[in-house]
Amino acid sequence: MATAIMNTVLRKTIEFLPSKAFTKNAVALIYTSKHLDAKWSPDAEWFEQFKGPVMYPNEITKNWAMQPWNATKVPTEKSVKNVTLNFGPQHPAAHGVLRLVLELDGEVVKRADPHIGLLHRGTEKLIEYKTYTQALPYFDRLDYVSMMCNEQCYSLAIEKLLNIDVPLRAKYIRVSFSATVLFAEITRILNHIMAIGCHALDVGALTPFFWLFEEREKMFEFYERVSGARMHAAYVRPGGVSQDLPLGLLDDIYEWASKFNERLDEVEDLLTNNRIWVQRTTDIGIISAEDALNYGFSGVMLRGSGIKWDLRKTQPYDSYELFEFDVPIGTKGDCYDRYLCRLEEMRQSLRIIDQCLNKMPPGEIKTDDAKLTTPSRHEMKTSMEALIHHFKLFTQGYQVPPGSTYTAIEAPKGEFGVYLVSDGSSKPYRCKIKAPGFAHLAGLEKVGKNHMLADIVAIIGTLDVVFGEIDR
Amino acid sequence: MAKFFGIDRFFQFLNTIKETGGIRASLYKLYRMDNLRPGTLVGTDKYGNKYYENPHYFYGRNRWVEYAEKYGLDYDASQVPAEWYGWLHYKTDLTPDKDPSRPHYKWMADHTENLSGTPGQFMPYSTTRPKIEPWIPPKA
Amino acid sequence: MNSAITKIFSVAKTGSRYVRPSAQLINQRYIGSPPKDGYIYVNDKDPSMDLNDITDRAAQTIFFTELIRGFGVTLAQIFKEPATINYPFEKGPLSPRFRGEHALRRYPSGEERCIACKLCEAICPAQQAITIEAEERADGSRRTTRYDIDMTKCIYCGFCQEACPVDAIVEGPNFEFSTETHEELLYNKEKLLNNGDKWESEIAANIHADHLYR
Repeated sequence: MATAIMNTVLRKTIEFLPSKAFTKNAVALIYTSKHLDAKWSPDAEWFEQFKGPVMYPNEITKNWAMQPWNATKVPTEKSVKNVTLNFGPQHPAAHGVLRLVLELDGEVVKRADPHIGLLHRGTEKLIEYKTYTQALPYFDRLDYVSMMCNEQCYSLAIEKLLNIDVPLRAKYIRVSFSATVLFAEITRILNHIMAIGCHALDVGALTPFFWLFEEREKMFEFYERVSGARMHAAYVRPGGVSQDLPLGLLDDIYEWASKFNERLDEVEDLLTNNRIWVQRTTDIGIISAEDALNYGFSGVMLRGSGIKWDLRKTQPYDSYELFEFDVPIGTKGDCYDRYLCRLEEMRQSLRIIDQCLNKMPPGEIKTDDAKLTTPSRHEMKTSMEALIHHFKLFTQGYQVPPGSTYTAIEAPKGEFGVYLVSDGSSKPYRCKIKAPGFAHLAGLEKVGKNHMLADIVAIIGTLDVVFGEIDR
Repeated sequence: MAKFFGIDRFFQFLNTIKETGGIRASLYKLYRMDNLRPGTLVGTDKYGNKYYENPHYFYGRNRWVEYAEKYGLDYDASQVPAEWYGWLHYKTDLTPDKDPSRPHYKWMADHTENLSGTPGQFMPYSTTRPKIEPWIPPKA
Repeated sequence: MNSAITKIFSVAKTGSRYVRPSAQLINQRYIGSPPKDGYIYVNDKDPSMDLNDITDRAAQTIFFTELIRGFGVTLAQIFKEPATINYPFEKGPLSPRFRGEHALRRYPSGEERCIACKLCEAICPAQQAITIEAEERADGSRRTTRYDIDMTKCIYCGFCQEACPVDAIVEGPNFEFSTETHEELLYNKEKLLNNGDKWESEIAANIHADHLYR
């Protein structure tokens, strides 16, 4: 009834509306039909076309399932992406200036992309503009936790090009002090102390770090006594070493070396059997022997995987063939094996140091070639010829015959090599430095994939990366 | 017996306080130096710093300097003069008055502490004549 | 008496085997094969599966023995003397060879040693850390008018003091010369000579102590 009245009223009202055009279509505007049964309404057949998730299904979309219909929530399209995490360069566990771009799936690392170059100083290019003598201190600053080993490698390369031999005493000094013989082995211990201490620190054990750094401090004192600098020694020179060992130093090294084993035992008491340490390191960062070789690993990273390769054994340099020592080899190639290798390597270094101290021969500490090594102060001040040599060596340097050499040593981190090209002048034509850490860091993508985020930290610790040598 | 039970340490402690000059002086020293321990006075330099030694402590802690009273809490590591530097850093066991290798020339300068951050700090300047002399216009 | 002491000592040395039998077991587990042709395998043996050893290991896990031992080792440190030194009052050992702040020395007469041969300038690996200008002095001797060292470029390698034929430039013993601003580290000749005058006592003693090796 009410609708009928409403209809009539509306129909009459339209006539009073201003626009004629409006009047023409008025019927369309106003619902007039009373015959509801004649009206089409959506039927089941019509709804059928909306049953699928898409209106015109193809081969793929026809299999798609329909989302359950929700009256209030509008379905939105989401694009899903893994979280990208920027690890470092200010992260305390990112050893120096490592920047890692990690792609995380939850807490699992799907992609680890190391970004390097934050410590690039252009050492290789700088060396081309320095005389052979001037380039030496740059090598201290490459791997700045195993200083004398780098110097030793560079010196060996020059000695090879010059085709000279080094006095045995100098060889011995180099060997045991720098983790290559006396100082070479001391440097090896320095480096492994740093590696194990920081590895444990990254994993969460702070105490061994402090204990080991106390020992490291003592070794810096040995460095300081022999060369005058606690770290950047510039001590190993082509043709020998710069100065003789001061009196009493060997006694003090013996004193220290005889006690260092106990310090290692203490660290082992804390770590080796500790269930937290074992769980954090075993089966973490496994690298198979094949992969380790393919990725160009060297040093402990290679030996941890069970490959018998140590340049001190396979191609002895300086005087390593005169020393008796064993090289630890891991089996599984995980972080734990590498930790055990480093520990054992330190003990073997102590063995070498001990033999060095006992067998240290008397004699010269550098070659007597006046064209290569500087004369002593006394000689320089009394002999005209020596003074001329002194001036020549400190201005022009010495000429190295043309040729090229790749000389590698077993640095604590692995194979540290120098590819030196000489054009016969007193400056190297090219000096390519092969840093072991570079290959190890490049392998992080392989080693660290599908590990938890926290394990990446443990792996970086076991890679023992130092950015001085990686970025060069 | 007293030594076995460590009672002698207590007497040692009392003795140290007495040597320092009473409880107040000991507390002040503890506040200033974080350390209160017995030692024999080896010497005093001309700036008033006192040098002590006690071989009972391990190497590295057995020699120490007590900076002169006038510095108060403004003591600084660089206030140790060159003469005593070697002794304090364990380079030599000889105090400067006994060391024959130490020269005494009249041109040797007095020691100064590191004056950075004070009005006395070093500022670089050129020690040569300027290579280009500015033209000064003649006055009319 | 003596033999008794020797006996006690020898027991003490190997005592850990009696005091903590677990240590031996663990050694068996983690220290690998004996050395062969110069190589040792660490950790190459699987843990022993004897019932005894399994029980021992289980007991270790349950009773936290290795953790307790670790705590014991750390706890023992409390009774040891701390290794740290109280710095501005006590200082660490240094050797006569230490390469610290530069100084220009004088002859005993008070005449400056440097003859401006520029060897130090030539050998300096940090290019242009040392700048020297020289002129003839009124008395006809050759001396520097400018001797600047940029201490912020210097890498303290000690080549300058090795190069100096008259022991004029030396790297002195001082390492406490940090400054608040960069400019203060651009040393000129006056500052270096002044350093030499200040530190001569120690520099001379160092050279004397090291004269056998130079």
